[in-house]
Amino acid sequence: MRVSYKTIGNYMFKKENILTKVKVGNWTEAIRVAGGLLESSGSITSKYTDAMISAVKEMGPYMVILPHFALAHAAPSKEVLKDDFALITLEEPVLFGVPNDPVYIILALCAKDGKSHMDSLAKIAKVLMEENTIQEIIDAKTPQEILDITEKHLL
Amino acid sequence: MDKIKIQTVCGFGCGSSLFLRMKIEEVLKENNIKADVFCGDVGTCLSQPCDAIFISKDLYSRIEGRAKVTVVPIENFMDKNEVATKTMDFFNGINKE
Repeated sequence: MRVSYKTIGNYMFKKENILTKVKVGNWTEAIRVAGGLLESSGSITSKYTDAMISAVKEMGPYMVILPHFALAHAAPSKEVLKDDFALITLEEPVLFGVPNDPVYIILALCAKDGKSHMDSLAKIAKVLMEENTIQEIIDAKTPQEILDITEKHLL
Repeated sequence: MDKIKIQTVCGFGCGSSLFLRMKIEEVLKENNIKADVFCGDVGTCLSQPCDAIFISKDLYSRIEGRAKVTVVPIENFMDKNEVATKTMDFFNGINKE
């Protein structure tokens, strides 16, 4: 049976929190779409999505941490209702103005505090740092394929 | 000598700094160096006891000149060569003292 979610530490990586081949015009739109998934899941308020965008503007685009991959997040706050994350891939990449451009994948993360999600994120980071994972995610056509990739690498 | 403490710093201390921490830990392991690596945020990193701060280049200017410990700016958190070179430079520097 194919899974519709994957548990990663205290996170539940759900199919509803994944979108593939999204069409956006720029990086702010991309973060809005990813944040929108977290809002629909009841994990954050829209203020948190705004904060993720301000964070890139204020702190600099170092959040584009791997080639083609941006980790969008803001500080833990009361705008976070539960720990969660969402992932989107883009039909056409967006630019943040960094060496790791162009960006095809946005992982949006929200955490109620600074510590609880660290083990889970470490697991995700490990998968992402494996060679080929990023390309596999970019090439995935459906959310199910992304879950299958995650499943394969976490086993 | 006490174990060396390295603080990896990003905007909030709970995202990118974790990736950098893992990269540094990888380098330390390969070189058989024992040290503690922990994450911090740019707002409070100066008040956290440590022996060195590894920080994204974007945020470097925010703490430049104010830290009492070595501050190492990192251009690309995931560039193994950069992280390895700068980590080893730091440790070689300590050993000379």
